Amino acid sequence: MRTSQSVRQQQPVNMAGVGFLRWAQALPKRKGSGIAGLLSGARAASGPSKDTILGPFPTTPEERAAAAKKYNMKVEDYEPYPDKGEGFGDYPKLPDRSQHERDPWYQWDHPDLRRNWGEPMHWDFDMFIRNRVDTSPTLLSWSSMCKQLFGSLGFILLMFYLGEIFPFYQAVAPKQYPYNNLYLERGGDPEKQPEEVKNYVI
Amino acid sequence: MADYQEAPLASRPKTLDPSEYFNLSAEKRRADEDRAAIRANLKRQYQTQLNDPHRKALVDDPALTRWVYARANPYPFFRPTFKTSLLGAMFGVVPLVVLYYVFKTDRDRKEAMIKAGTLERKFCLSS
Repeated sequence: MRTSQSVRQQQPVNMAGVGFLRWAQALPKRKGSGIAGLLSGARAASGPSKDTILGPFPTTPEERAAAAKKYNMKVEDYEPYPDKGEGFGDYPKLPDRSQHERDPWYQWDHPDLRRNWGEPMHWDFDMFIRNRVDTSPTLLSWSSMCKQLFGSLGFILLMFYLGEIFPFYQAVAPKQYPYNNLYLERGGDPEKQPEEVKNYVI
Repeated sequence: MADYQEAPLASRPKTLDPSEYFNLSAEKRRADEDRAAIRANLKRQYQTQLNDPHRKALVDDPALTRWVYARANPYPFFRPTFKTSLLGAMFGVVPLVVLYYVFKTDRDRKEAMIKAGTLERKFCLSS
């Protein structure tokens, strides 16, 4: 039986122990305090590469050009969200137009989403799909619609309120019964003569 | 087509936009051509992958990956400013505090009424 020189009988090693030992040895060399100092700052190699993930807000023209190229846009069209610490990074700010407004007759790669493969997606793309928010132009202006809706609702509520203050119904009176207000039925003495009850006025 | 009126609830189609045909400048045409070139390149890439007879897996869209990653990982670029702190307080802290006080006062009042015997317990299905 031929064995090469590198094959030796090796003891099985607990790799978890090895990993923990290496982590413990590297701990004093780390910068960062608290939990940040305990966690590894590196991403797994199985994840997306650096040039496909969100980057920081671009400040120099070279960074802007690189970001535009990353997102498949022209440098002139590329406009990042203003850097207000809201977490957008270098993601492009696209016009707030829903997918309803896109040409229904063009041959999109994904016809239901009206989008081509590789096209930069709006930050709120899931809001602008055709089942949801529609930014198409309306028949009336927003102010006109608001006035009509709240005007009619307000009028209805006002009338309900006035109806509570000034109720209006058919005039009613207590029910009048015959036979001297039902003297016998109400357990009156049949021997005694009941008092005459006149429920009418002529 | 000079008297074209948009259909209600529709935007004007690009092919009927007069600014596409009149007052053109060389820069605008060049910009349109560049955009068309990018779009054509992406289309070519997609169609090549789509019609590849040896492909067994889905066609990955890097724009989709970037979008999903961007939406899920805004944390490295978060900075506590006035606006972000205000939003965080308004949506995270204020509802908790307000609801705590509202429920506490309401229940304390009810408890006091029960102890004093003034609570009217009608048979009513909704509380």
